[in-house]
Amino acid sequence: MSQDNHWQIIKLAEFERPSAPASTRIEQLVQHLRNLFPSSEQGTEESEAKDFPGYRDFDLAPAADALDEAWQEWLASDGTGVKFLVSPPFSGTAAISRAWAERHQLPVLQAPEAELFAGVDIEAWWQPQAAPVWVIDHLADYWQRQTNGLAFIRALLPKLMRGELGKGIVVCDSWSFAFLQRAWPVHLPQVYCFSAATEALLQQVGIQAPSKQLRALAARAMGNVGLALALWAVTQDDAKDLPAMPADCGDASAFVLYALLLHNGLSGAALQSVLPTLAADQLDVQLLQLQQADLVECNQGKWEVTVYGYLAARDFLNSRGYFMDAF
Amino acid sequence: METDKILGLFKTVTSAAVIEIAIVITVAVAIIWLSQRLLPWLADHLHGKQRLFVLAMIPTLRVVVFILAALWIVPMVIETTVQNMVAILGAAGLAIGFALKDYVSSLIAGIVAVYELPYRPGDWIEVDGTYGEVKHIGMRAVEMVTPDDTVVFVPHLKLWNSLIHNANNGGPSLMVVTDFYLAANHDAHQVKQLLEDVALTSPYVQLKQPIVVIILEKPWGTHYRLKAYPIDPRQQFQFMTDLTARGKACLRALNIEFANLSPEHAVQVTP
Repeated sequence: MSQDNHWQIIKLAEFERPSAPASTRIEQLVQHLRNLFPSSEQGTEESEAKDFPGYRDFDLAPAADALDEAWQEWLASDGTGVKFLVSPPFSGTAAISRAWAERHQLPVLQAPEAELFAGVDIEAWWQPQAAPVWVIDHLADYWQRQTNGLAFIRALLPKLMRGELGKGIVVCDSWSFAFLQRAWPVHLPQVYCFSAATEALLQQVGIQAPSKQLRALAARAMGNVGLALALWAVTQDDAKDLPAMPADCGDASAFVLYALLLHNGLSGAALQSVLPTLAADQLDVQLLQLQQADLVECNQGKWEVTVYGYLAARDFLNSRGYFMDAF
Repeated sequence: METDKILGLFKTVTSAAVIEIAIVITVAVAIIWLSQRLLPWLADHLHGKQRLFVLAMIPTLRVVVFILAALWIVPMVIETTVQNMVAILGAAGLAIGFALKDYVSSLIAGIVAVYELPYRPGDWIEVDGTYGEVKHIGMRAVEMVTPDDTVVFVPHLKLWNSLIHNANNGGPSLMVVTDFYLAANHDAHQVKQLLEDVALTSPYVQLKQPIVVIILEKPWGTHYRLKAYPIDPRQQFQFMTDLTARGKACLRALNIEFANLSPEHAVQVTP
């Protein structure tokens, strides 16, 4: 790895959030209080808030170089088995893994259809795309949080661990990973993630700011590069502020946000199937309310938490005692 | 002579002292009044441990303010010698013993409840068969609201001789037990796994806590007890409803039969 590349792969257990300076802690406290005591005026700012600055992509090649640096030797070896790469939301890890797969001409496996989640027929999914080395870019697409949505992943994980499907890299969203560790409590030895964004890495991805500001940004973004880029874009525009939770958010809002984070986004129908306790009209109201607050958005039929609303949603769920990810 | 002795217990109260006493009482009442309104309002915006901590501060703060006010006022009114205190406490004890025994017993139990913490605001307790959430701890009684929205006043006196069942004991963890009654002929392991998954996939479940299924064989079939924790104790009934509804749907999908009523549960229809 060159001296100028600050991307680094580490064990998940070694991940440490960048320490926050006092000013950032105060900012986080203010954000937390805004979530606890939402202002009823938020609705009136809707038209302005819609116009968020663009969330800029970053160059994936240096991050793929870091994957090479860490796993080149393992890739060239004859062994089997998998390495898990845990990805906090908006960190771009899935895109990095796809770029890395393309570089090494490795296939990115297609997720099974939702109908297969209830069964344990791994072969039906595996055979059409079988390869000695492969990449799974979104493990969150391989299960759903419903009683007949866990059988497939429970059958798949032991096969992956035993190397029955060859060698590969499994990118798993951090919220999904936390849940799967609860649903399938087996110690996974080969779990990695990208190290927390540092001042140098933020400069590398193109954020030019004084050192102190970069440190504060890294801390506020919890070491997540994608989130840092989004926060930076908001910071650059004085007229904009991050979204906050609407005044009348309750259990139903928490269910929707948690389900979306857990599955890294869901279609309306899939969301309804994982939240049968909410009636369809109730779910629509929740989605509309969260969409108006810029906390969720619908991209090509898939509902997702917005990058700008992630901090508010995370804080909201954390304050309610939800099971959080490792980041 | 006796009148002089009694009067000797008390200090000469000047008008300045009267004003000071009035101010102390007013401030104490104001602090208690404000704490009983502001802290519940603040607690409504919080969840889990933070909410329960704020609620638990209300009775504690009231006792602290009450004691400080008493410590401030008593020396202004009474000559605080050992002899005087013995005389006053003796007279007070006599009055309490005859007339106000139960009332004072409740007051003392109320103070004991503040440091012994058998219940705090936000706790779910059962006293003498009544189950509900503690909403307010007064000087004499604890106010609880049942799931059917009925307010029940329980004197602190119950603390001395009744069993107080506290379901969450000041924390956010409250176990919910959901029962399923099935006909005996089925695969118990399959049902156990299914019920565990029903809880695991409930949006109400607290994933930090364990999920357990207990199986009991009965003459009429098999009794399953699904034990899990909701994220917030206030969600316990919605959680139980969700587990029951989804559990039944999943069991029906597997064609598992539900148990018939046992003879002792059967209703005798009279012609």
